[in-house]
Amino acid sequence: MPPVLTNGEAKDALSVAAELTIVVVVSGKDRTDIDKITNIAAAVQQRAEIVSVSEGEAKRIAHVTGRSSFPLVFVKGDCIGGPEEFERLNASGTLEEWLKPHKYDLIVIGGGSGGLAAAKEAARLGKKVACLDYVQPSTQGTTWGLGGTCVNVGCIPKKLMHQTAILGHAIKDAKEYGWEIPEGEIKLSWEKMKTAVQDHIGSLNWGYRVQLREKQVTYLNAYGTFSGSHEVQAKNKKGKVETITADRFLISTGLRPRIPDLPGAKECCISSDDLFSLPYNPGKTLCIGASYVSLECAGFLKGIGLDVTVMVRSILLRGFDQDMAARIGKHMEAEGIRFLRSAIPKSFEKLAEPADGKAGRIGVTFDIVREDGTTETLVEEFETVLIAIGRDAVTDAVQLEKIGVRRAKNGKVVGRHEQSITVPYVYAIGDVLEGCPELTPVAIQAGKVLMRRLYTGNGEMTEYDQIPTTVFTPLEYGCCGLSEEAAFEYYGEENIDVFHNVFLPLEYTVAHRMDADHCYCKLICHNKDDNRVVGYHILTPNAGEVTQGFAIALKLGGRKADFDRLIGIHPTVAENFTTLTILKSEQKELQASGC
Amino acid sequence: MVEFKEVEGYDSLKSELKSLEKSDKPVFVLFTGSKDSSGKSWCPDCVTADPVVHASVKEKLSEGVFITCQVGPRDFWKNQSNPFRTDSKLKITAVPTLIHWGQSNRLVEEQLFKRDMVDMLFED
Repeated sequence: MPPVLTNGEAKDALSVAAELTIVVVVSGKDRTDIDKITNIAAAVQQRAEIVSVSEGEAKRIAHVTGRSSFPLVFVKGDCIGGPEEFERLNASGTLEEWLKPHKYDLIVIGGGSGGLAAAKEAARLGKKVACLDYVQPSTQGTTWGLGGTCVNVGCIPKKLMHQTAILGHAIKDAKEYGWEIPEGEIKLSWEKMKTAVQDHIGSLNWGYRVQLREKQVTYLNAYGTFSGSHEVQAKNKKGKVETITADRFLISTGLRPRIPDLPGAKECCISSDDLFSLPYNPGKTLCIGASYVSLECAGFLKGIGLDVTVMVRSILLRGFDQDMAARIGKHMEAEGIRFLRSAIPKSFEKLAEPADGKAGRIGVTFDIVREDGTTETLVEEFETVLIAIGRDAVTDAVQLEKIGVRRAKNGKVVGRHEQSITVPYVYAIGDVLEGCPELTPVAIQAGKVLMRRLYTGNGEMTEYDQIPTTVFTPLEYGCCGLSEEAAFEYYGEENIDVFHNVFLPLEYTVAHRMDADHCYCKLICHNKDDNRVVGYHILTPNAGEVTQGFAIALKLGGRKADFDRLIGIHPTVAENFTTLTILKSEQKELQASGC
Repeated sequence: MVEFKEVEGYDSLKSELKSLEKSDKPVFVLFTGSKDSSGKSWCPDCVTADPVVHASVKEKLSEGVFITCQVGPRDFWKNQSNPFRTDSKLKITAVPTLIHWGQSNRLVEEQLFKRDMVDMLFED
């Protein structure tokens, strides 16, 4: 297909780069080093298409590719840099290998939120795609089907179990509203809940299989390892190895829970990998960690009637607004969740194995650092210990260093606009990409946008800022933009105004829910920029649904005055954002007014 | 070895499934429109899907039980409260439908015209 091209000025240099094998983008009339490039191209029997762009277009291309100098060389659609990089690629033999025909246009390693979205998008654009997905069993031997963390051991089962807890509370509330619920204890069957959740997950796994088949993406339930610059060995469960090649690779292998190197940890403890399919009711549970994984799990486990303890080394929800984190902690304590603060686990002892559908018993030895600085060692027994202290990239076995893909110390792929900074035909998205917010919708967006940018040259970029998110603790926390701490640091405390209030959700009044005492919201505004809203925070039931809508206001540069002239919907919790008048700096005591 | 069974109607399907409760073999059920006295089915999609499914079973299924369940006459099927639709473990809303009993895997209507789709259900 003839390119839409250059007689001097090409508006779509990136589209040309997406179409042809070797493209050189030059800015204006500068032709420095062009000979170097065309000579190498000729030596490998290729034509280097020269595309000249205006200064303005050059700026845009520099922004999209993350490169700053011209000429820019593209090989099979991937920006490789300038003439020096092109020489290096040629000298190392990589260029020759790259130019060979390969079995696939794209191999995606990791069939999770990001990988599947990218694979389907690339296929939609007419590319030949293979998607590899393989789950190495957890420390407890748990595995799952296609779909990645979110579908199998993350967002989906988490939200369903969170909902289970909410429904348990709703049954109690119903009595206050006049429902005549028969007397007697209302219990949750772990087995029934787990089965219902797993059935749904199974239908999602199957749904993805069908989708990939329909879109003609080759799915391999096999572990991918690089064996050559453009070659991957895919090993399946039975040990059979298939060697496949591609022009381009996308790493979307995500993360796995970190298990600390403590005596007994691997043998005795479970992680989020295991919790959602646990074959027994976890019983008296210890959640180690102050991450949202730990707090969300502790929350719904308590909500279904279990005895729950959370062990925290220092602060809750590192990275999140700390005032909101403290409020969450206070609410969870009011719910009856026990917090062991300044506590560090030391070792685990299995006192009884889980058997016959019942939990086992684990002796946990831990240190508590007292206020006076002394340490006390304590031992306590739990039926289940859930470790949620963080998640790590497990990219060692993928053999990325074999082809020179640079990884950060934590194993994540170092990228520039999702492109590996060392290997131009390798890309990474989602949790495995260094600096990428660890959220499913970010991975999905990045996957689709990247495929369109690479295969059509449309210059689309993923916006990684002002991403709304919600922590599904028993009282949900929705936020978008900056925390108070980040806003103070970035803009200076004197340039920030925080408007806040407490409120009583109407539904909680009749039900006499204590949670009503904890609901809170605030807007963080930049007072030197017309009170532009730079941070949005709310602690409320249904925080996720509320936050999604308001996030567009931040994206569009909404100011406090815009929130003020917006008329609220009544009676809701969201309407509180339309009537915020109290400044946090005034230190007035807040009193919730019902309606 | 694949055991082939034929049942007609909801009750005989339920009793067949009950008799297979203790077995650990995979069980598949193909729901299809019933054939009239001249051997003709009222469901044209079922007629199209039938040879595709059977060819796939022959090649891809090595072990298990394959049940063909004729759901009944057209009027019975179209009734929104027929037991195939309302049974929480079945929830069959279209014919033809092919399910792997006890799992979430199922294929419906045009999906059953595609040999590679049907293969995927048996391969899993």
